[in-house]
Amino acid sequence: MTTMTNQVNINSNEDCFYVIHPLDDKHEEKCNPDNLGRMPLSPAVKYSLLSLRIYLIFMVGLVIYRAMQEMGIF
Amino acid sequence: MNNITKMNQEDISSKAVKVKSKWMQRIVNFLMVMGPGLIVMEADNDAGAVSTYMQAGANYGTHLMWVLLLLLPITYFIQEMIVRLGIATGQGHAALIYKRFGKWWGAFSLGDLMIVNFLTIVTEFAAISLALQAFGLEPLYSVPVAALALVTLVLTGSYLRWERTVIILCFMDLAWFCLVYFSSPEWGTVLQHTVVPTLADGPITSDLIFLIIAIVGTTIAPWQLFFQQSCIADKRLRFSDIKTAQMDTFLGACFTILVAAAMMLVGDYSNSFGIKFEDPAQMALAIAPFAGEMFKNAILLLMINAAVLGATAVSLSSAWAWGEVKGWENSLQKSAKEAPSFYATYVLCILAAAGVVLIPDAPLQTIILSVQVLAGLMLPSAIIFLQLLLNDKELLGERFANKRWNNWINWTIVAILFVLSLALAVQVILPDFFNDFGLFTTDG
Repeated sequence: MTTMTNQVNINSNEDCFYVIHPLDDKHEEKCNPDNLGRMPLSPAVKYSLLSLRIYLIFMVGLVIYRAMQEMGIF
Repeated sequence: MNNITKMNQEDISSKAVKVKSKWMQRIVNFLMVMGPGLIVMEADNDAGAVSTYMQAGANYGTHLMWVLLLLLPITYFIQEMIVRLGIATGQGHAALIYKRFGKWWGAFSLGDLMIVNFLTIVTEFAAISLALQAFGLEPLYSVPVAALALVTLVLTGSYLRWERTVIILCFMDLAWFCLVYFSSPEWGTVLQHTVVPTLADGPITSDLIFLIIAIVGTTIAPWQLFFQQSCIADKRLRFSDIKTAQMDTFLGACFTILVAAAMMLVGDYSNSFGIKFEDPAQMALAIAPFAGEMFKNAILLLMINAAVLGATAVSLSSAWAWGEVKGWENSLQKSAKEAPSFYATYVLCILAAAGVVLIPDAPLQTIILSVQVLAGLMLPSAIIFLQLLLNDKELLGERFANKRWNNWINWTIVAILFVLSLALAVQVILPDFFNDFGLFTTDG
């Protein structure tokens, strides 16, 4: 693992501490989703997400309708 | 886990900062890592938030302060999950949704984000236009200048330059505390209304419920999830930075809630002069004869500051998300030549929103209301994806995935937000719905 803070002996009589900015530090290996593919979802989760999506589409449609009413289009 | 490890001198980057003591090392380290948490929280105190909090203060005094206290842990817990996800994967939120849920869900999430973000940026420009009009500047000149300033802010080719500038803008919000000091509130009452939930004297009205929901909606917004994760990825925060980034987020949340409380107190101060609240710019003009020109100018400038902060953060969240999904170079560390599409998206968001505000008789009030409703509607959905990602142990492992207690807290938050968002949507779409059922009484 890369380190941000390193304790180093600059000379034998001195203890020094170093701080490295994340942008200047080495890249570290992250948890990479690229090779994992899609997350397995149980049917219950799938249907819940689908219901939520249908609800959102319906509600957004209502908001647009209401906004058009406010603007005097209907 | 102790981050401090022995390392050979030759391994130390030439850009490392040398300090003499351990506590100094911690402070410098915090200063280097801080940023995404503070910015995401404070940018959420945008133009819409200024208006909502001041309206709450003007109409209900300090009675709704407790809502802010309740929102502190909620907003922290949600963004803390983003910190873990961002640091663990080093990727943006939109990219992760695409990769783990597929294109169909990814396109929906991105579409939701882009629509709400665009409308939010329009409201930021509407606020800039209103505030500068109060200074006597015509929108035809003030809006393009503001748009140009916002574009220049990101075109430096340096993440750090952008971050430092925006942090300075965040700290300008400290001026709200000076306004509170000037308005001399009754601290005993403020404290009482902060820790003891009370509602205003008189009947519970649908307007009051609407305002409470609007406070919740304005304090937690979907763009924050995408923004902070992309920001963390762009800053390349390391595994060892996680506690510092959590602290940054927590302090950012505290600062934001305190600033929100200050806005409420300034609204309350205006009420003491019998000023009827319409919008912050009108309130600033109306309060000038009582509190002085400086007080008025401060409110207007802080309103512009809030709008600028909101506009840059929201536009960046759109540009980062779009860039991640399209696979473009999408970093503030890159110049405009190196990441043309990323910057073009940002510029397009800014210019299009500014253009809408300049359209004569544009339905800005309808847009502002729609933003609140759409953001409120989409928030629970966005948090559910976040919650599913944080339970993805295949990706995150045990170290970064949610623990059981995290899940309990977060599902509770999702349930509360879902009910509130539904109530907000119903209230705006069918204003008389609650009254028809005799649940609340109407104002006036």
